[in-house]
Amino acid sequence: MDLLPLYVSAKLAVITTSLLILISAPLAYLLVYGKWPGKFLFEALVNLPIALPPTVIGFYLLYLLGPQGYVGAIWREVFGGTLLFTFSGIVIATAVYNLPFSVQPIKATFEKIDPRLRENAYVLGLSPVATFFRVMIPNSINGIAAAAILVFLHSLGAFGVVLMVGGSISGETRVASIAIYEAVETMNYSEAWLLSLAFLPVSYFLLLLVNRLTRH
Amino acid sequence: MKRILSKVFGSILVALFLSCPWSSDASEDLKAAVAANFMAPFKEITAAFEAETKVKVEATFSSTGNLYAQIINGAPYDVFLAADEERPKILFRKGLSGEPFVYATGRVVLWGMGKNVCGRANWKDALSAEDIRKVALANPETAPYGAAAQQVLKQVDLWRKLEGRVVTAQTVGQAFQYALTGGVDVSFCALSSALTPQGKKGCYYVVEEAPPIRQAACLLKHSARQKEAQDFLRFLSSPKAETIKKTYGYH
Repeated sequence: MDLLPLYVSAKLAVITTSLLILISAPLAYLLVYGKWPGKFLFEALVNLPIALPPTVIGFYLLYLLGPQGYVGAIWREVFGGTLLFTFSGIVIATAVYNLPFSVQPIKATFEKIDPRLRENAYVLGLSPVATFFRVMIPNSINGIAAAAILVFLHSLGAFGVVLMVGGSISGETRVASIAIYEAVETMNYSEAWLLSLAFLPVSYFLLLLVNRLTRH
Repeated sequence: MKRILSKVFGSILVALFLSCPWSSDASEDLKAAVAANFMAPFKEITAAFEAETKVKVEATFSSTGNLYAQIINGAPYDVFLAADEERPKILFRKGLSGEPFVYATGRVVLWGMGKNVCGRANWKDALSAEDIRKVALANPETAPYGAAAQQVLKQVDLWRKLEGRVVTAQTVGQAFQYALTGGVDVSFCALSSALTPQGKKGCYYVVEEAPPIRQAACLLKHSARQKEAQDFLRFLSSPKAETIKKTYGYH
């Protein structure tokens, strides 16, 4: 039995989650406290992946990441090679698809923080950036961890977007959910059973953890 | 809790990064884009090739049209085994591949396992049985076997009669799976599927009206492993490979 898809999925989930938390925490901060025109337009844009079908996102990404697309062209200039059908490509696709799922919970935690805490930090002379790192982040670590776990679970099971942007290349873009789909398609039921079984305890345990983290 | 969390995540991260660099061993293998109908013989042929040369071949099985679109968009395959001659020819004309050659010729069959299907005179007879509710077909746009089946159905004027009952599968392999799992009563698939152990659970009729499907293969230009890829393509015509192809009904 081929265990490589499980590894690819785990790698995809770990890298996408780290990347997204790094992007989402400052983004959520800007969305909660920033005062700039067109903020609501930008927030809707961030949330768009929730509303769009994975195939639509996949199709746009296919175009953007392809050799003729902007992102694909820049990537080729800088790193050489294409983004489509590569591991880096599916990391980008999964990150775009999961952006709202990490920004929204972090934003919610930021909103719950007592505003006096932040005001006190200002009064005591902390800059906005220092406030972010020394007041906001330490006070919302549970919420950020919960967001990270949700994104991790989502990326672990990513299917539609990855299939469209990554195809199914062994060791590169054949993630576990695609391997399961193909195993079923080719009537390799024992492999489908085993790969599916690998998801069950991981997902269940992580959901318990999310529950615990967000209880307060 | 915080400490446990950071420990868990930290160790997962470290383990992943240490155990395998970004480009894993799998990138050393030859990567083949293979039409779904050829899956069963392909697995045997690559096993024989690996035994002889120690070169592993990793395959992606899909419809010819899907694989073709991936290749046009720069998918990193070394060789392409299509289910038609058209698409490899276009790749060759675009300068994306070496000259294509026919590696197998397959047949379209109608396959089913119900009592109402088996023991009929021919495929048209089996298809007109009263209790046939659903018929599967690979997507004619992307799968050459599906296209051939659709063309014949139009030719013999059965297409309009069936249209509302046709289930479109992504690949010819999936069309076969629909019939095997009972989702549809019969499906148009490749003779090679009907000759697998699972296929022998049912019965098949060769669709004589459909011309034999000539399948071409080619070496992709951007492949970094030209020599191994060339060796593999040559191996497709070796006596060993020919024997395997014959057992699955290719000639």
